[in-house]
Amino acid sequence: MIEKGKISSYQLGKMMYLAIIPTAILTSPGITFQYARQDLWISPLWAFTGVIVVLVILRLHHWFPGQSFTHIWERVAGRTVGRTIGAIYWIFYLYVNGIIVREYGEFIVGAFLLNTPLIVITGSIVLVCAMAVRGGVEIVGRFADLFLPAFIVLFLLILLPIIPDLNIEQMLPVMGQGIMPSITGSFVLQIWFSELMTISYLLPYVHDHDKTGPSIWLTLIAIILTLLISNLFTLLLLGDLTGSYTFPFLILARYINLQDFFTHLESLFMAIWVLCAFVKICVFYYVTVLGAAQSMGLSDYRPIVWPLGFLLTVFSLWVAPNYQELAHAISMSVVFAMLTMFLVLPVLLWFIAWLKTSGSRRSQRSDDARSLRGSSQ
Amino acid sequence: MITVSHILSRLLRSGQRRSAQAEQSIHHLQVQADLSEELHVNVELLRNIYADCSDIIFHEFVIGGRTRAVLIYIDGLINVEEIDRHVLAPLQRDNLDEHSLSNIRRTIPVTSITTVKTPVDAIEAISNGRPVLLVEKEPQGLSFGLSEWEKRAIEEPTSESVLKGPREGFIESIRTNTALLRRKVRSPNLKIRMIRKGNYTRTSIAIAYIDGIASPALVEEVMRRLQPIEIDGILESTYIEELIEDNPFSLFPQMLATERPDVAAAYLLEGCVVLLVDGSPSVRIAPITMYSLLQSPEDYYERYFIGSAIRWLRYLFFAISLLGPSLYVAILTFHQEMIPTPLLLTMARSREQIPFPALIEALLMETMFEALREAGARLPKQIGSAVSIVGALVIGQAAISAGIVSSPMVMVVAITGIASFMSPRFNIGITVRLLRFPMMFLAGFLGFLGVILGIIIILNHLLTLRSFGVPYLSPLAPMRNRDLKDVLIRVPTRMKAEYPHAPADRNHERQSSDLWSDSGNGDDST
Repeated sequence: MIEKGKISSYQLGKMMYLAIIPTAILTSPGITFQYARQDLWISPLWAFTGVIVVLVILRLHHWFPGQSFTHIWERVAGRTVGRTIGAIYWIFYLYVNGIIVREYGEFIVGAFLLNTPLIVITGSIVLVCAMAVRGGVEIVGRFADLFLPAFIVLFLLILLPIIPDLNIEQMLPVMGQGIMPSITGSFVLQIWFSELMTISYLLPYVHDHDKTGPSIWLTLIAIILTLLISNLFTLLLLGDLTGSYTFPFLILARYINLQDFFTHLESLFMAIWVLCAFVKICVFYYVTVLGAAQSMGLSDYRPIVWPLGFLLTVFSLWVAPNYQELAHAISMSVVFAMLTMFLVLPVLLWFIAWLKTSGSRRSQRSDDARSLRGSSQ
Repeated sequence: MITVSHILSRLLRSGQRRSAQAEQSIHHLQVQADLSEELHVNVELLRNIYADCSDIIFHEFVIGGRTRAVLIYIDGLINVEEIDRHVLAPLQRDNLDEHSLSNIRRTIPVTSITTVKTPVDAIEAISNGRPVLLVEKEPQGLSFGLSEWEKRAIEEPTSESVLKGPREGFIESIRTNTALLRRKVRSPNLKIRMIRKGNYTRTSIAIAYIDGIASPALVEEVMRRLQPIEIDGILESTYIEELIEDNPFSLFPQMLATERPDVAAAYLLEGCVVLLVDGSPSVRIAPITMYSLLQSPEDYYERYFIGSAIRWLRYLFFAISLLGPSLYVAILTFHQEMIPTPLLLTMARSREQIPFPALIEALLMETMFEALREAGARLPKQIGSAVSIVGALVIGQAAISAGIVSSPMVMVVAITGIASFMSPRFNIGITVRLLRFPMMFLAGFLGFLGVILGIIIILNHLLTLRSFGVPYLSPLAPMRNRDLKDVLIRVPTRMKAEYPHAPADRNHERQSSDLWSDSGNGDDST
């Protein structure tokens, strides 16, 4: 096995939580609001993709324990198809991570360091991520251990002081136009939920398998609740203005005012947000590197960390000429691309695997699965 | 003479060659050359080996008026009075017919007498301060445990003083140090293995651990790392530390240095290994975590809530000592909006005349502060106070009125200085002081973002670092909830029923669990 480190189920959960929340909390309310209006806060509840992806991936790993996503494809659909899909996946992860790094850079440059070149911001974060990724999955997991409390403290620090300023009337009428607007609004959220597919690459390195299921479901619930609460607070504070900001949650951070002394704490918000974005980029970076090493049949992934980091920096510039086009692409084509890769293909894989395992009589299913597994080793 | 020069070259030149051979040649010699039956051959051999050593005394005398004998020792390493009274006096009065070694042994009232069979044994004994007696017509000699040399008295270690708790400290003699440990842990389970390292210094190194608590794998690992050490001399335990630590290029210490027997005993009871090196009062403890370096023995001697509160204060100031100046630089350069308006106005006024950007100002002052600290540490006490007066004037008053630095910067530097002195272990404080400078640069270039990137890089290093296999930041990352109770707070002693993290092998309990129900007397444990 390429990776020798092991993580715990809870570390996996924390990693996935931090791999989804930082960007979701920042950009999703603005986009969701355009469709869901005052039902913005209901949208995270329609996490179909998350549920399906988690169900499928957990099922697949029940059938093929200790196998990565690429390897399962190879077992189920043959070597050629598996290798091809493995290659497509790591390139796609590189692309998605390029988008993430670009979003991160645009956020920092747009909101804080106005005069700094974008490449300095993206290059520096890729550099520190490369260091962490070279340490392996264990190190990324420990970073998640360390930074999750920081994120929770930040989240509460932003939300608690603004409670007196919330206006409950902003959310009325609840489901005024029926259930549809909130579902339409949740469409773009499905990208973030589909990112849970990434667990498929990390599950082989979890050492306590019995706790994996509960931990992943807990993560999904935590993500939904976090988005629900942050969307609700954004809506109750900003009301109709929510849609007119690129980063509505940042406005909440700006709103903090303690005794007229501690004001404008958004730089602090940025600082802690960077910690979480760092984990997010690390997770995707790690999966890119791991996927690449697996599909190229390398014995170690460390040599390709720096080259892929360079590619990642360049990808972050290539994904779009400017932020407007990037935002447009995210809400249009990227959604479909990500849903195809992170939802449709896993479901397809599950379907093929299910057909193969239940090809013969039901009672033999487990034997088949075992023999399928056995042939892989 | 051929044998003499042979042995001489073997013994003395071997140190210059690859030392593995030296070890072998001594071993070789031991097997080959026994002491001769002729007294004058033996004495000649030793005299040649100890040529030009004016402190070696060859005392020739006659036992009972008949048998010739020679007593060889190093002047200053033995107790002359005892030798005179218990060795020379009875021997000279000895009128037995046969002066064999066993007879002599019976005559001399000394507890520790060992037989010396080879020249190497003799040299080893003489170097350790044991006088060697060679007798005519005997192919063996005797060495007596009558060594005594000047040692420092047991004092309170100045670098680790406490208000409450034991005040004795280790000294430079390894036997005294092991005795101090043994006085804390009287169980025969306290094992103290002894090895010698250093081709010229032949320094004793003791490896102490408690059998049944320390994991055997850990002890084996320590021994395995100590075995291949080949070095000319070991003058301080740092030599050993650098040779056996996991990552020699790390800025962070991976072994704990202490001069306090109570600290060493506490770590022994947690399953750690303690290394004592002869000639050094500071012993080394492994494995440790980051938090060991931020704990003071006093945390456990105060009441637990005070201990916890002080521990938190220490964590806070540890962060300040690392981040203080860089946060100030970042806020002043990039995030002025964070400063409350009234304060901003005052700060702007004080910075009006300053020609430098905040980064240069901070670097200037921090460098100056470090220079003053170093100067003060090396100077004799009488001049030291002069330095601090000059320093206070230069750093403080004059620099501000000359318009070179602003007064808030002086305050930040002063607070950071105090914060760095708060760390209970000197070596972690100096690490943090060093890391402060790159952090200031990052803050000057990228603001908060730079500070965060710097923190991530440091954390990345700490997360990959291990001390004898134990992750440096455990139990926080990787997280072990059960062990957190002695890191985030200092739990009351009665609640410390289980052993902490990895070093402890077996998870049995430290106290009888009856304590839980018996709420009255938690102090009668142990």
